[in-house]
Amino acid sequence: MSMGDVSPNWQEVFVNYALTARDAAGASALVMRSDDGTKTRQFTEATYTRLAKRWNMPESQANIWFIGGIGNITGNDFFGSKTMASPGIQVDYETTRVYVAATARLYRAQGLNHDFASARAGFSFYEVDYDQTQPWFILEVRRMRGLTDKTEVTPMLRLIHNRYFVEFGVNNASQARMNFMYIFD
Amino acid sequence: MKKIIIALAMGIAALSATAATSTKFTVNGMVCSFCAQGIEKRLSKMGATKDVFVDLKKKTVAVEAKDGQVLDAKAISAEIVDSGYDVVKIETVLQSVAEIKGELKSRK
Repeated sequence: MSMGDVSPNWQEVFVNYALTARDAAGASALVMRSDDGTKTRQFTEATYTRLAKRWNMPESQANIWFIGGIGNITGNDFFGSKTMASPGIQVDYETTRVYVAATARLYRAQGLNHDFASARAGFSFYEVDYDQTQPWFILEVRRMRGLTDKTEVTPMLRLIHNRYFVEFGVNNASQARMNFMYIFD
Repeated sequence: MKKIIIALAMGIAALSATAATSTKFTVNGMVCSFCAQGIEKRLSKMGATKDVFVDLKKKTVAVEAKDGQVLDAKAISAEIVDSGYDVVKIETVLQSVAEIKGELKSRK
């Protein structure tokens, strides 16, 4: 699986390989920037994602995911690179029409704290067969320490079709944002 | 009369022998397109599988056997569970996947 999250202050690409139905190993590269553009960060990490718990219900599914990462961070306001750890947790609930998720992730290195939290909620406009394109409305709220004191709010249009997933939106700072995901065969 | 009964019995036997056999699984937790594709991919790789159909709304996975082969419902169920979902009902039907698909779509 490959994923991307692209906006002026946040550019991330992520590749994940499923080892089992519950475990995946991956690698990620993330470039972050402060709102005024004066501070930048580049973070590359190796990741491990684990489905800690799943509840399968007749019309829905709920999950708890553990996300772990470790890598190197560089920035324009300190010399060299630092080792950064990025453990996190995500909980989500989904039906064929509704999606809700909350994520919390620590981004810590010596002298750096870029802890991150996000919440997403949305609904699909109508039901489709799984091989047809399904449009969703998603609202995401996210915040990260150390680079911005603002909470980013982004309404997005999500389209899912076969192995493709894309989201387009404009955040409350009037910046365009695009997310994508592709599931390899 | 006896000849008519024998002819009818032979006709039914012949019909049964040529009818497609499929197994239908009712699956909990299968809510997204990616869930459906993952299950379809795994089940399509199984030796006796001719065709697979997933209906998210009806929570149904239907698998049709290749001609002359028998589906191992336990093995299919294990694949679905291993993919991360719960199988709550299994039934064998004398229908092809195309017929099941048509039937489920007509109920929508």
